[in-house]
Amino acid sequence: MVAAALLACACSSIDCPVQNKVRAVYSIRNAATNAADTLRDSLSVRSKRADRTDTLLLNTSSKVVQFSVLMSYTQPEDTLFFYFRNGAYHATDTVWLKKDDMPHFESVDCKATYFHRLTAVRSTHHAIDSITINNPTVSYDDSSTQHLYLYLKSHN
Amino acid sequence: MTIRAHNICTSISRATISLLVLLLWPVAGSAQKLFLLEKDSIPLMRGFQVSFDLVGVAQLMFSDYGQYEGALRLNLHDQWFPIVEVGYGKAERIDDVVTGMSYKTQAPYFKAGVDFNLLKKKHQKNRLFAGFRYAYTSYKVDVWCRDLEDPAWKWPVSFDVRDVACSQHWLEAVMGVDAQVFGPLHLGWSVRYRRRLKNDEGIIGKTWYVPGFGVSDSSNFGATFNVIIDI
Repeated sequence: MVAAALLACACSSIDCPVQNKVRAVYSIRNAATNAADTLRDSLSVRSKRADRTDTLLLNTSSKVVQFSVLMSYTQPEDTLFFYFRNGAYHATDTVWLKKDDMPHFESVDCKATYFHRLTAVRSTHHAIDSITINNPTVSYDDSSTQHLYLYLKSHN
Repeated sequence: MTIRAHNICTSISRATISLLVLLLWPVAGSAQKLFLLEKDSIPLMRGFQVSFDLVGVAQLMFSDYGQYEGALRLNLHDQWFPIVEVGYGKAERIDDVVTGMSYKTQAPYFKAGVDFNLLKKKHQKNRLFAGFRYAYTSYKVDVWCRDLEDPAWKWPVSFDVRDVACSQHWLEAVMGVDAQVFGPLHLGWSVRYRRRLKNDEGIIGKTWYVPGFGVSDSSNFGATFNVIIDI
């Protein structure tokens, strides 16, 4: 009986999702046609940690049609700094992303996390023309769901 | 995309189901004859049995979860055994050493179904039976996490969700034996394959332990070791 109980307890597995990061996916869009576009500049995304030091959320991405950026667990609004570079050209924009946070539990063997519902987004307009919410529900890393459309200004 | 680890228990489950199907295949051919009540001088009503499962109690003693479970079984002609099982499931893991997660729930659950005596000579004291159960539980879950920190922003984060209302319906396929030890006392084993029908896991995404069903992500198989008394 004890053996059966131990067997029943032992026959379990740790079944945590492999992709357990919660990221918002930004799709680069063409402002004229609204079609998918390619990021022509290199882009880095940073934010400020609790101790006011920088945290790098996206490291120099370029020639991509979309990219993903981690979201904070419970801050009501993420403040993100987008650094665009292309040769001598450089521009910095700030993006403010408002959201509702929902605690998410898988198992006691998996780390707790938060899913999110995007409620509003705004930005400065040095390199960014506009930014809009396409799909407000952000859960585990899923590159097939584009949460935000990012329209960039053209420059020479 | 969420990719889940394929575990050995799934393979064991599939192999065992295949084996059961192969073993029971010849029975299906003569099913009509098998399930009819035998015509003999033995009365239809043969009394009751009460039983208590010891595996769930041992689980409670040696792990973070388990259950107390008792059953009342009606004996119809030593052939059919309508059964009601009632239990109380509990799980409590506090401050998991790796994740820091804590999980607490306790609730009653109910099962109803029927067992069928597979032995050719039905009116003997030992039985081999197969059956099924429909089961239901409604339970509340507390989940919290100590020292949770946002991995990128490094803010301390509170994760504390209390009294999340959940429920689950499920089915169990049962195979077992019981043998007379002396007088009215029997001892018996049963192996169960559980299949979730419908569940509501509240606002937190998933639940870990479901009273009566067990740990959600583990094997669908369970076992009971029953002390049974004829009434």
